Amino acid sequence: MFLTRSEYDRGVNTFSPEGRLFQVEYAIEAIKLGSTAIGIQTNEGVVLAVEKRVTSPLIEPSSIEKILEVDNHIGCAMSGLIADSRTLIDKARVEAQNHWFTFNEKMSVESVTQAVSNIALQFGDDDADPGVMSRPFGVALLFAGIDDKGPQLYHIDPSGTFIQYDAKAIGSGSEGAQQALQEVYHKSITLKEACKASLTILKQVMEEKLNSTNVEMATVTPEKMFHVCTKEELEEVIKDI
Amino acid sequence: MDILQINQTSDYKKAGPLQAHFNPYSYNGGTVLAIAGENFSVIASDTRLSEGFSIHTRENPKTYKLTDTTVLGACGFHGDVLTLTKVLDARLKIYEQDHHKQMTTGAVAAMLSTMLYHRRFFPYYVYNIVAGLDDEGKGCVYSFDPVGSYEREAYRAGGSASAMLQPLLDNQIGFKNQQGVTRIPLSREKAVNLVKDVFISAAERDIYTGDSILINVITKDGVTDERFPLRRD
Amino acid sequence: MAAILVAEPQASGFSFENCRRNIFLEKQGFIAPTAYKTGTTIAGIIYKDGVILGADTRATEDTVVADKNCSKIHYIAGNIYCCGAGTAADTEMTTQMISSQIELHRLNTGRTPRVGTANRLLKQMLFRYQGYISAALVLGGVDITGPCLYSIHPHGSTDKLPYVTMGSGSLAAMAVFEDRWKPNMERDDAMLLVRDAIAAGIFNDLGSGSNVDLCIITKDKVDYLRPYDEANIKGQRQGKYRYKRGTTAVLKSEVKKLEYEVVSSTVVAEPMET
Repeated sequence: MFLTRSEYDRGVNTFSPEGRLFQVEYAIEAIKLGSTAIGIQTNEGVVLAVEKRVTSPLIEPSSIEKILEVDNHIGCAMSGLIADSRTLIDKARVEAQNHWFTFNEKMSVESVTQAVSNIALQFGDDDADPGVMSRPFGVALLFAGIDDKGPQLYHIDPSGTFIQYDAKAIGSGSEGAQQALQEVYHKSITLKEACKASLTILKQVMEEKLNSTNVEMATVTPEKMFHVCTKEELEEVIKDI
Repeated sequence: MDILQINQTSDYKKAGPLQAHFNPYSYNGGTVLAIAGENFSVIASDTRLSEGFSIHTRENPKTYKLTDTTVLGACGFHGDVLTLTKVLDARLKIYEQDHHKQMTTGAVAAMLSTMLYHRRFFPYYVYNIVAGLDDEGKGCVYSFDPVGSYEREAYRAGGSASAMLQPLLDNQIGFKNQQGVTRIPLSREKAVNLVKDVFISAAERDIYTGDSILINVITKDGVTDERFPLRRD
Repeated sequence: MAAILVAEPQASGFSFENCRRNIFLEKQGFIAPTAYKTGTTIAGIIYKDGVILGADTRATEDTVVADKNCSKIHYIAGNIYCCGAGTAADTEMTTQMISSQIELHRLNTGRTPRVGTANRLLKQMLFRYQGYISAALVLGGVDITGPCLYSIHPHGSTDKLPYVTMGSGSLAAMAVFEDRWKPNMERDDAMLLVRDAIAAGIFNDLGSGSNVDLCIITKDKVDYLRPYDEANIKGQRQGKYRYKRGTTAVLKSEVKKLEYEVVSSTVVAEPMET
């Protein structure tokens, strides 16, 4: 029996004798190189917060977008290979619109997540079908939204596994952040508290000093639906930290 | 000068090759009718299935229960009705499996519209009416044309005797052309009785409507069935 | 001046003067008006004492019932009647025309007309018009030769048979005859048989409906039973549909004085009061 990984991590669809798909596992590892992103679900809505790595003063910070709108009622934060997320966000947006077109109703958060997870494992060695991915995607997503079941937060990783969370952190600081979330989270947390908590935790795990340009925050609430926080709104929260 | 030339009338066909066309449609008659009440919906159809001057069966209701709160009434070409209802049932099941919930009446109506428009240039020859309860538990009726145009209405008749029933409903439920009447909200009993009466009248004059009617009343407690006989000639 | 206003006396026979115009209009896309059809069940049988004719009473215009109780058994002569199916106007006018010819024939000859004579007149007329007069007829009566029964097709062919059916319900009715007709049937049995044949048409043919009319012709008596049987009872209304007085809006009302001239007046003497 081969004990080294090296024999079985070439083909993207080859199981190792221990029953593992190394390429998928590596992809999950790739997330841990990404910037930290946090999502918290409350009774009033869901908050998403991400760290932006502004590695040079010549970077235009607003061009780094890590929180995107999927539909009016659903937002998505990401960590990992951001370029890979384009395909997935496109898929999510098309599915949401298609659902609205066909059924004249909002697509549920779970269904959007499911739709995205369905393409997670559509990769292969051969390029039989152009457009199909050649490797697993290297990004993790947090879907935040509101539907008939209320505010919800879903996490999806490169293996296509998706799980609903009360609070979830992804990216390089995810280990520490997840620990911190567990301590701070309770069922009756308000949205305001959650916003503050998410930035507080980001601040703890970020290498740079947190300010209103190197973080991005968005909320999904019944009143405003998906809403990306403005600089002023961010500063309002930051000053209390 | 051909004064004596006789004008040839078009009654006589010239000899020559003829192309025979296959007609994929036929018409099997039948009438459906739906009324939306405050917290209920009534949808009814006659049970006659016919073609030309023949009756195929006297026992074919044209209402189809789709969900606990949605019933479809469909008539026109029976072959298309069968396929359409079959595809609808499948889509309903897939939706339930995908989204872990039953489709609302509004969603059924929207989906039916896209299914019909999908066949814009080879349409399902079916006249559809969807009745049920909306998200708030109120009665709702959606009417369609065969290529997917639809709208929510308070009452609607469709199919072979629709032109006879609709003006009567306009008068009796819509209070059209009536001056100084008190607009009492329609009770379930009144609605069901009205359905029976308009069908009695339609059976008098429309050769494709008769034999009996099946009346479905949709409430939050489910869908009830009632049969009522009509003339059979 | 009056001559312009009064229509010229009509020439006898059909008028074809609008045919060219109508063909032109149809080419332009004009849709010609449709005639009432009696998509019908008519039938007749010979029984022991004479002939029984039967008919339903529905007249249709496309898929709409135009007349729920029309009469399809037409009078030809005192001893001859004729059921008609097809275009209502054609059956009506054809039987009336032949009826008047038969009457003139009776007056000229002073004899009871024969059914065969009526049959000849009808078939010759229908043949002349090459099927354009859409009348399908069942002709029956009793004459010097005994009971006679004919079926006459729109193109002019005829059959002389002991039991015949015509119209869109003819197959349903003929099925009943083929099953149950026997020579020399009793009157009651024969009537029931014709009723059942017509009823088969009424229920199984959408072009036929409503009631059963019968006409029983014997050597010295005709019983025209209309209706003989109401095959369908109309449904009972559930609700009341009376409108309150004033429900219909009056849009405008105007009182106009009638201008008149006194043309004549009479003076009546009243007795003086005492």
